[in-house]
Amino acid sequence: MTQLTMTVNGKAVSGDVEGRTLLVNFLRDTLRLTGTHVGCDTSQCGACVVHVNGQAVKACTMLALEAEGAEVATIEGQADADGSLNAIQQAFQDHHGLQCGFCTPGMVMSAAALLKENPKPTEAEVRDYLEGNICRCTGYHNIVKAIMAASGQDVGAIAAE
Amino acid sequence: MGFHRPDRIEDALAALASGASVIAGGTDWYPSRGDGPVPMNVLDVTRLQGFRGITRDGAGWRIGAATTWTDIARADLPPAFDGLKRAAREVGGLQIQNAGTLGGNLCNASPAADGMPPLLTLDPKVELIGPHGAREVPLADFVTGPRQADLREGELLAALHIPDPGPSAGGFIKLGARKYLVISIAMVAALVHVEGGRVAWARVAVGACSPVARRLSALEADLQGVAVNALAGAVRPDHLKDLSPIGDVRGSAGYRLDAVAELVGRAIAQAARGA
Ligand SMILES: Cc1cc2nc3c(=O)[nH]c(=O)nc-3n(C[C@H](O)[C@H](O)[C@H](O)COP(=O)(O)OP(=O)(O)OC[C@H]3O[C@@H](n4cnc5c(N)ncnc54)[C@H](O)[C@@H]3O)c2cc1C
Ligand code: FES
Ligand code: FES
Repeated sequence: MTQLTMTVNGKAVSGDVEGRTLLVNFLRDTLRLTGTHVGCDTSQCGACVVHVNGQAVKACTMLALEAEGAEVATIEGQADADGSLNAIQQAFQDHHGLQCGFCTPGMVMSAAALLKENPKPTEAEVRDYLEGNICRCTGYHNIVKAIMAASGQDVGAIAAE
Repeated sequence: MGFHRPDRIEDALAALASGASVIAGGTDWYPSRGDGPVPMNVLDVTRLQGFRGITRDGAGWRIGAATTWTDIARADLPPAFDGLKRAAREVGGLQIQNAGTLGGNLCNASPAADGMPPLLTLDPKVELIGPHGAREVPLADFVTGPRQADLREGELLAALHIPDPGPSAGGFIKLGARKYLVISIAMVAALVHVEGGRVAWARVAVGACSPVARRLSALEADLQGVAVNALAGAVRPDHLKDLSPIGDVRGSAGYRLDAVAELVGRAIAQAARGA
């Protein structure tokens, strides 16, 4: 076992892990932050997306020890300080951007990375950025709409499919 | 045993000598474990000095092996690298590009590695570091077969050295069964240098249609001197005779050859537009 420390959602955390422990397992099993989901375990679906030092990565294909000393952000840290949903989360609710919700933490984390890089993306840019996030319920349309709305753009013209 | 993430090459070589398994972005390494256990002795090369980043040196450009696809896509590089940049944006999705590296793509040696065709057109040498010192090998000789690279016991891929490509421009086109997150059925990269409306020289490489991606030298020779506005008819079936695509779930061999004939033309045209 190796001692591991990192910052998760602004808080210093530590734990003992085996070399083979994945970041997603450290978050879910050791820290009990179970908002980060595992859908495929092979980097395909994006349910496990977190930010490591500000970059979106798939936590199912990263060893926990690779994040030693890093700043990690998960869905649990996305709400505003008073606990209310942040703009992206609220937009997912308002625009019905989720059904079962399994993909949603990863979608929200990818969306947050996108809007940080590109605060006013076009619809095509949103769809392009979400290529690594799979949703089997919504058909994506309302997810795209929610992200456009969260960026402060008028989504009235995006017709429901 | 354990997880090693050294910044000194000596420490990395020592970890390798102890049997450590090498990991960069881990995007090929981890899925390839399947249901088997993850090794307990791991060497992470991403912090090694000189392994990450793109620098200009006297003879051309040096790209560290642990440079990520996102690093490449964002780098300020001349038009000759446009094909490589397009390929960078086609590797998996954004999260894969944030973690996955050029060196991992080459060492993994998949026939469908998207980095190979654009890099082959840039004619690089790979720099390898091992217990017996450093050596350089042309990229075309480094990848020797499907999942086979000329990586000797205890060696690491440190960097790629790309000779100055001058005022040429690159293109890259990938064909997959859908637009995103897909293993290539075929991909083509081209690098074209235009002078006075004619092709002064061109390099064309095709991936996923032979055990190792390869250049089409007969086509390259025939492209010399062709007027840019006459490129449309320049590709003939015999230019593709060195390709030996397999038929698999992604497409039949015949489909791949038909598709490549079209893609080659488009990639050359794309490069010529940038030149
Ligand atoms: C969902 C998904 C989609 C993908 N899509 C694509 C795609 O569209 N196109 C494509 O080409 N690839 C794709 N890949 C494969 C992979 O992401 C790329 O090949 C990537 O560039 C690998 O880099 P890495 O740093 O993650 O390699 P790693 O997984 O870290 O390493 C790969 C192999 O190379 C060895 N290695 C790594 N670095 C070195 C070094 N410096 N010296 C010696 N050995 C080394 C490792 O030991 C390992 O065997 C995809 C993967 C996933 C999971
Ligand atoms: S669980 Fe990580 S991408 Fe699916
Ligand atoms: S809401 Fe069910 S998978 Fe996306």
